[in-house]
Order: sequence, then structure tokens, then C-alpha cells
Amino acid sequence: MTPSQDNHNLFENLKLELRRGSLVLAVLSCLRSEQYGYTLRKALSDRGMEIEEGTLYPLLRRLETQGLLLSEWREADKRNKRFYRLSPLGAEVLEKLLAEWSSIDAALKEIVKG
Amino acid sequence: MQPVESYLNNLAKLLPADQRDDILRELSEDINSEIEDKESQLGRTLGEAEKLEILKRRGTPLQVAAGYTQNKGTLAFGPQLIGPVLFPFYARVLLFNVGLTLLVLGSVFAVFVLSGQAIHVKEFLSNVIFQIFIQLVAVTVIFALVERHLNSHSYSKKRAKTQDDLVKQIVEEAVKPRKHEISRFDSIAVLIASAVALLWMQSLWVKPVLFFGPAASLITFAPVWQMIYSPTLFLMLMAIVRACINIAQPNWIRFRDCVAVFLNVGGLAILYVLLQARIWVVPISSSAANSGAQHLASVINQWAPFGLWIAAAITLVQTVHDLVRLYKNWRWGSSNK
Repeated sequence: MTPSQDNHNLFENLKLELRRGSLVLAVLSCLRSEQYGYTLRKALSDRGMEIEEGTLYPLLRRLETQGLLLSEWREADKRNKRFYRLSPLGAEVLEKLLAEWSSIDAALKEIVKG
Repeated sequence: MQPVESYLNNLAKLLPADQRDDILRELSEDINSEIEDKESQLGRTLGEAEKLEILKRRGTPLQVAAGYTQNKGTLAFGPQLIGPVLFPFYARVLLFNVGLTLLVLGSVFAVFVLSGQAIHVKEFLSNVIFQIFIQLVAVTVIFALVERHLNSHSYSKKRAKTQDDLVKQIVEEAVKPRKHEISRFDSIAVLIASAVALLWMQSLWVKPVLFFGPAASLITFAPVWQMIYSPTLFLMLMAIVRACINIAQPNWIRFRDCVAVFLNVGGLAILYVLLQARIWVVPISSSAANSGAQHLASVINQWAPFGLWIAAAITLVQTVHDLVRLYKNWRWGSSNK
């Protein structure tokens, strides 16, 4: 492996780490209104947050198991789809996470500014 | 079979059983939404090659299933050799084979100590490490090849269907009860464990030094082992054939159960012959000068029945367990016809 490939891989790994935490925040925020998997993925992608299906669906499952999301199978457009929405606990946690995010954001801006 | 259907069928075999139907329904819905979306953008239906592209972008069934599998470990030397889906089976096979090796070699070591033989710890340890290394390499290579094979993109495309038919069939397939189906990974694990155990038995037969260590210059296997060699080989080959057949036909549960009972009964018969023999190791030379070898052989022959009785008890319990399973599955099969 060449040094430039090494650097690229390092950057990709760090980028993944950086995105991992913010994905939860993005997904929870999007699910303040009810959506099914595909429209959620599109909504995230349209706002610049690309997410693979292989990441999104296991994440949705985990958030549901943790009680942050609720889901139900319902018919829409003549097909059964699984709709997700934020649970009351999820809404509470989201508020706290957003506050935390704002404080991290503000701190980082200060730090980056030097 | 269309690519999407084939992809989901492959994925179904890799997902955790308790969530399988739910995950499949959701993923099939997601794939179909994406296909429909693309079709409405292009104003035409997608060809099979385009559908294959969509599936390839999503990753292989093994990669997708790994996202849903609770990560109990992976094996990587640089690139990942064995992923989280196969790793529990790999660990189980390795544990079985290495455990069996350690049990046998440990028993030999204990007998040497009991018979007052001088033990060359260095020689004994190098023997143990060599055998464990061989097992580790064999099992790892085979599992890495299975992982590689499962990661290859190959979705058959035998017949075309309408989109509606396809969705219907996928959903039907997804909600079909799969409880009574043998996991292909279980069959692969049995296949690998049996193949490695067979190789190990063969190497012990050819080189008794691997079993007896330095004492191989003093003692050897008694003629009874020659007698049970072919039946044992036959049973091990039968276990391998059974696993191969169940990889291809995971729904042949009665076949698996019948073969399991037959193998256990065969194992019991072999143990019976061994117990009747009363002599399991003999000195290589019967000269009076070789009293150390005679003493060692007599100690082994004194202790061996305990091991054989334990093996017989375990096989008997396993036989009863397999008979009960055969009965239950037979009843389940009859009531679901």
C-alpha cells in the first residue's frame, strides 16, 4: 500500500468515525415526522447526509430496541411498509442530544478559530 | 429466479432466525422502492443488469447480514478473513477440534505421569503446539474460503417475472416458517470439523508419534484399532456426506436426524468392540529388557476403559437426544403436510 493510499484510508476511517455519532442525531431528527425506511434514506441523502441501507436499517432496529423509536407495518401505495417515528423517550433524548450538539459545535468553532 | 429474489433468498440464510422475516420484508420493500424510483425517473422498467447494479451497490448478502448480526468477533490479518456472520461457527469448530486434541493429548500426558515415565516437557509441548497449529491453519483456511465464496456476487437469473409477482413471492418467502430448516452454516461447521478430525485421525494412524509423543518408540496401537479403523473411517465419511447433502438440501431434516442416530449407534458399536478388547496399546518389543514399555502399556490399558466408558455415556445421551429430535421432527413434518 502506498503512503497516499494509507493517508486516504486514514482519512476515510476518521470521516466514518466522525459521521457515526452524527448519524443518530440526523435519523432521530428526521423521524420527528413519521417515515418509512426508503423515504428516510432519501430525506437524509437530499440534505447531504448519505447513508447506506446496510447502515440505516440496523441502526433503526437498534434505536427501536433502545426505545427511542416506534414502528408499525402499514399499507401505503398498495404495499406494506414499515413506518418509524420518534417515541416520547426518543423525543426527550433528542432534545438533550441537540443541546449537546450545539455546545460541541460552539466549542469546536472556537477551537478551530484558534 | 430474478436477481432481487435470489439476493433475498441468499440473505435469508444468513440472518438471525428471530428477526429474519421482519428484516427480509423491510429490505425487499426498500429494494423495490429504489427500483420503482429509478424506473419512474427513467420512464421505463429496469433491466436485470441494472437491478444487479443496485444489489451490488448494497453489498453482498454476507456484508448486509453482518450489519444485523450481533458482533461476536471477526478474524483479520490485514483484510478480513472471517466476518461476524461466520465467526461464531468458526469459533465453535475450532473449539471442538482443538478441545478434542487437547483432551486426547492431555490424557496421554496424564497416563505417562501415572506410569512414572520420564516426560520431556519440551518435546511434549512442541507436539501439542504443532498439532494445534495444524488444526488452526486447516480450519481457518477452510472458513476463509467459505467466507470468500459467500462474498462473491452471483445471483442467478433464470426466469423473468412481473414486479407484482416478484414482490408477492418475496413476501411469501419471507413469512414462510423456517423454523424446521437446518442452518447451512451448521452443516458447513460439521463438514469442516469432520474433515479436520478425519485428517487428524489419518495422521495419527500414519505417525503414532503425534499421539504417543516420545513414547512412540516404546508402545503402539493394539490390533483392535486395526479392526475398528475402517468402520470409524466410514462413519466419519458418512458425517461429511450428510453435511454436504444438508448444505444443498437444508430442509431434509429427517435425513439429518436418521443419519445422526445411525452415526451414534455405529459409534456405540465401535466403543463396544473397543471395550471388549481390554488391550488398547502394546509394547513394540516384548523383550524382558523392555520392562518400561510393558509397564507403560499396562498403565494405559488400566486407565483406558474409564475414557471409553465416558465416551460411551456421552454417545448414549446423544443417541437418546437424537432419537427424541427425530420423533419430534417426524411429528412436526406429518402435521405440516
